[in-house]
Amino acid sequence: MPYDLARLDRRVKWLVTCLLGTFGLAYLFGGWMVALYAGFTPARVARTYAEPTLTAAPETTMVMEHAMPMSAFDAADTAEVHLVDTKLLVQDTHVHVPMYGVIAALLSVVILGLGLSPGWGFGLITLLFSAPWLDFAGMWLTKFASPRFAVLTVAGGFAMGLGYTIVALLAMRRMWLLPAPERTNQ
Amino acid sequence: MNKLILAAVLTLLHITPVVVLIKREDAVKTILPTATAFTAREIHLSGPDAHRLHEALDWGPDDGRLTFYTGRSGTAAVGSLTFVRVDTPHGPLEVAVGFDAEGAVARVEVTKATVETKAWVLEAVRSGVLDGYAGLKGGTGADLQAVARTSLLPGGAERYRGKVGQMAAYMLEQIDKGVQRALVSYGWFYRTNAS
Repeated sequence: MPYDLARLDRRVKWLVTCLLGTFGLAYLFGGWMVALYAGFTPARVARTYAEPTLTAAPETTMVMEHAMPMSAFDAADTAEVHLVDTKLLVQDTHVHVPMYGVIAALLSVVILGLGLSPGWGFGLITLLFSAPWLDFAGMWLTKFASPRFAVLTVAGGFAMGLGYTIVALLAMRRMWLLPAPERTNQ
Repeated sequence: MNKLILAAVLTLLHITPVVVLIKREDAVKTILPTATAFTAREIHLSGPDAHRLHEALDWGPDDGRLTFYTGRSGTAAVGSLTFVRVDTPHGPLEVAVGFDAEGAVARVEVTKATVETKAWVLEAVRSGVLDGYAGLKGGTGADLQAVARTSLLPGGAERYRGKVGQMAAYMLEQIDKGVQRALVSYGWFYRTNAS
């Protein structure tokens, strides 16, 4: 084991606790925002990321008119789907994937101090890094291959939450809950 | 560490949420206060027209369709308006541009921003720039080509740089872009397809 969280200076344990708590807060708000703007179901995610179906341009410019009741202005507006277009997705991928990597790396460093077997260590680290890959692969494939790939984004999001929850619970247990003798034996 | 945590929090907010500054219905009432009935005019651009617009403005509506709303009082048209989206690296903003019955800009409102840009957009709006667009008229043909190539901001964007912060000044340019798009679209496609 590279190091043991249980044996660390209490200040370092507190640092790790604060870091995990802050990540947890961010994940909660991240989940709330996803609920507001994209949703947790593949169908809603697909509506957010899939490119709108383009209709062929007419041979000559055509004009159509219809009555517009005042109430329809806002009804049409609130019904607008939050669409992440290609440019925004390029920007999101460029900005966020590296930071997801940093977060996964920090959580992986915590995993190294949990005293887990190599198999569990490999598994959890893989889970942490594969979650953002799934998340963004799902977004891109939904946009350019098929809306069915939205399921990858949903899976990636839940994998991110699952990975964080496992690491946070195991770390809290390791640092603060296990009795001292047991800590030294692990 | 604080910066790292802040970056992590921001990272998780990877969808850029839109913030409604003015509801569309309220914008319509403000821009065309005397209108009692509206019709939506959807202009489906042909390939050559869409190309012409793109050549002039480096922009075209996503779905190839421009939508103008004509306001009437009784049988008389009192004006029209359109909502134009401007994409920025910080998320989209939406500008409502109203025209009077003679085809001059009556009023401009910024109806949407994003969580990230809201403060900059509000600062830009507080500069009073929106009032400066009133009375602008695109003309037709060659005049509109000129409109498409120059800043519409009274005195140019430079005039406002001293009054607002750097990002608000950037938002001013984006608002200007939205008004340009509305003005050119109005002159080329709304007026020429008037019923």
